[in-house]
Amino acid sequence: MIQHWRRRVRGWWLARLPLTDNWTLTQGNIYILPTRAGLVFALTLVLMLLASINYQLNLGYALTFLLAGAGLVSMHLTHATLRGLTLHLRPVAPVFAGDAALLEIVCINPGAERHGLALRFEDRAAHGSSFVWTDVPAQGQASARMSMRPPRRGLQPVPALVAETLFPFGLFRAWTVWRPAAQALAWPRPEVPAPPLPPALARPGEPHAQPARGEGAELDGVRAWRRGDTLRQVLWKKVAKSGEWVSRDTAGHAAPELTLDWQAARGADAEQRLSRLAAWVLLAEREGHAFRLTLPGRSLDSGRGDAHRRAALDLLALW
Amino acid sequence: MSIRDAWQRLPREARDTLFVLGVIAWTVLPHLDHLPPWCGLLAAVVLLWRGRLALRGAPLPPRWQVGLVLALAVALTAWSERTLLGREAGVILLVMLMALKTLELRARRDALVVFFLGFFLVLTNFLYSQSLAVALSMLVSVWGLLTALVLAHMPVGRPSLQRAGALAARAALLGLPLMVLLFVLFPRLAPLWGVPQDAAGRTGLSGTLQMGGVAQIANDESIALRVRFLGPVPAAEQMYFRGPVLSRFDGREWTRSAAGFAPWPRRRGEPVVFGSGIDYEMTLEPSRLNLLPLLELTPDRAGAAPEIEAYGPLLRADAQWQLDRPVTERLRLQARAFTEFRLGPLDALPNAADDLGLPAGYNPRSLLWARALRDQPRNAGADGRALAEQLLAHIRDHDYSYTLEPGSYGRDAVDEFWFERRLGFCEHFAAAFVVMMRAMDVPARIVTGYQGSDPLPVDGYYVVRQSHAHAWAEFWQRGLGWVRVDPTAAVAPERIRVSRNLQPPPGLMAQALGSVDPAMAQRLRQAWEALNNRWNQWVLNYSRGEQLNLLKKLGFEAPGWADLSTLLIGVLCAISIAGALWALWDRHRQDPWQRLQRRVAAVLAALGVSVAAHDPPRRRAERVRQALGASGDALAAQLDALDLARYAPAAAGRPALSLRRWWAAFKRTAAQQRR
Repeated sequence: MIQHWRRRVRGWWLARLPLTDNWTLTQGNIYILPTRAGLVFALTLVLMLLASINYQLNLGYALTFLLAGAGLVSMHLTHATLRGLTLHLRPVAPVFAGDAALLEIVCINPGAERHGLALRFEDRAAHGSSFVWTDVPAQGQASARMSMRPPRRGLQPVPALVAETLFPFGLFRAWTVWRPAAQALAWPRPEVPAPPLPPALARPGEPHAQPARGEGAELDGVRAWRRGDTLRQVLWKKVAKSGEWVSRDTAGHAAPELTLDWQAARGADAEQRLSRLAAWVLLAEREGHAFRLTLPGRSLDSGRGDAHRRAALDLLALW
Repeated sequence: MSIRDAWQRLPREARDTLFVLGVIAWTVLPHLDHLPPWCGLLAAVVLLWRGRLALRGAPLPPRWQVGLVLALAVALTAWSERTLLGREAGVILLVMLMALKTLELRARRDALVVFFLGFFLVLTNFLYSQSLAVALSMLVSVWGLLTALVLAHMPVGRPSLQRAGALAARAALLGLPLMVLLFVLFPRLAPLWGVPQDAAGRTGLSGTLQMGGVAQIANDESIALRVRFLGPVPAAEQMYFRGPVLSRFDGREWTRSAAGFAPWPRRRGEPVVFGSGIDYEMTLEPSRLNLLPLLELTPDRAGAAPEIEAYGPLLRADAQWQLDRPVTERLRLQARAFTEFRLGPLDALPNAADDLGLPAGYNPRSLLWARALRDQPRNAGADGRALAEQLLAHIRDHDYSYTLEPGSYGRDAVDEFWFERRLGFCEHFAAAFVVMMRAMDVPARIVTGYQGSDPLPVDGYYVVRQSHAHAWAEFWQRGLGWVRVDPTAAVAPERIRVSRNLQPPPGLMAQALGSVDPAMAQRLRQAWEALNNRWNQWVLNYSRGEQLNLLKKLGFEAPGWADLSTLLIGVLCAISIAGALWALWDRHRQDPWQRLQRRVAAVLAALGVSVAAHDPPRRRAERVRQALGASGDALAAQLDALDLARYAPAAAGRPALSLRRWWAAFKRTAAQQRR
């Protein structure tokens, strides 16, 4: 019951925060409270004050007040560690569902050096409570990398993040809660082991052929690298020797074109089919086939290359 | 590989741990002086053990091992201190806990425990000494602890110790104004409960006297009080600081009499004093006794009596100044004393029983001897003064010697002293003298207090040490009142005149220095004491009285505790409000460049030139030229200059443009344009 209400309150609280990819920390969105250590420190100071009074130690007073002053100043220093920073989330590269998506958070610091800045997910229960620590140089930037694992395919919101600090004395904890607007795209997890590719369908004007295994056999030319060539086509040895980017010229009569069809991917449910299709897309790309993708209601024209592969996976993710 | 290189190469964790260990060791160091040896040894072993583990990157010992050492420490404490409570045992346990906790530095929480224990350990050092040296060394400790605390919160990379130290120092320095404010204005309260009695045994003025009790005090070189004379300085043999007066004698022990302890009876009138008096200022160290050893004789009259409202000083019937609570802080006061006086009652002695009382069965030989002296024909009709002279002559002529180590005396101590051993110090002479006088039916009593001072003033202050504790005698004679007699002077006049009879063995350093150049050693010592005295006067002596004086200077009439609190809270509130206002202002503060851009856009809009918020000045200049044509040239040129100054300051070939001045010029041009 309490859990439930706590969740409700937190949900309401989070919903009030704007969605943004650039989160500038000001007095309005930094919270600060004493930590448990801070409370113990306060208790220590009270005890020291009592000892000073009872033993009439003027130096005891001086020490107590020195520490009290430093402690109070540390509150401002803790707050100032966050104040003025801008947090920026770089676009999140898509990953397969269940894989770790890299969140790169850039901390932009217009002021003096910041130490001991920690980033974590707001919802510790769901995303783990590990911290990523970073220092931010004066007038500079630092990036912190975190990872999230999208459980399913599709566009998923980046969970709320917390940036916090205990610097310098750990007596106070200042934090801010940030809801990035960016969404992470998760492709369907490809089936493992990858099922064999469906047979290439005969197209008008082309001989029927089985998809060829391997691509080395048909290598017959080298040409300058062109945008869209896959990394697999690059002749790395030549690149290393000459410094020029060259690719295998397999265009024209590479492996025959495939059609990856929803109907052909038999599976228990839609997700399994998508998962099989994703595996096929990867396999077809690896083996250099041009392929077209047809889903109920959506389809992708024939093509090859990295961009095509991405488009196919995106289509599968968002279908 | 030098040590420096090795230090640089240490893994960060090991380096941080060694640093913390060093700070702890430094903090414990001043305690070694008064802790039992086993404690220092055990702490050193534990710290070295931990240091070794850190250097090797070895795992920490299991809990039960630490628990075992802790149990050992507790047992040793109980054995050596006979208790686990009380100050000494508490300090020992704190030191041991601190050292053992370093073996348990597993999480951040453990580290924080070490730091907080460390701050408390620093405080305990002040229980033993608040000297300048201790203060400076503890300042280093606090800095070290804060540095370690900062290091614990810099988890990234390998921040240098200098960097962390600078950050810690910065926080402490920023907190300094608050510290000074609190130190000055925080009301100095009386101890909240049970006044610590630990130090009571350290002064010679305990209110009782038994032969042998003063010997320890004579070796105690700690300072009892400092006195500065505002006018003429009395001779050393006139410097008697009057403490408890002991009249009642039970054969072994001397104690105060109830009559003497009553307040000075008003009807008796003031003591008769002669001369204009000696004005003096006294700084009394916290004696934890509720009495004031003032210069003899300080009467209770306006201008002469000490003015310290907080303690309610009261003159007793035996002319000793009493306070209503123990002196637990350094106390500064001004008073006037008269070295020539008649201490009443002059006509008749009430309660003569106490001042004549001799318990039966003690010191029979002395009583017989004294009566025989009295019954001599030449002493028929002799007054107290004549009899006292004869006693002093006897002491002078019969080979009595003054020594601080007379050995212990038995039941009939006066007999033993007077007839056999003839060895003793002030209290033996005073007690024997009083017993003899009483045996001759002359009322007499012992006065304890301090006599003399260090021969040379330090920074204007004469230093009176615990080793100046003294006991002398008074007898009563009709018409003269109580007359002071110092029998010690009869045998050791230099004890009274020079008043430095015994030097403690000097420390190693002082010994070395003293053997090379005694004069320089003396000068160094005096300079150091002068510095310490300033420290005492300005920092340690800062008490309730000084606080109230400060309030008076600030314009409070009849300031009190409440005013102090009001002022403190008021100033804190004012600071908080100022801080809040600053935060409010800071919240709306804009980058000056952004603000200028916004203002320029507004001015241009008023002229009918619309520009985007993100347009740089040169684009705005283009717009101005497009919209206003040649008439806008002046504005456009200014915008171009701004652009150049911002984006190509080197090409502009000028020192940085003042945005403020530029804005003023731009506004003027825009105003002309509008007309």
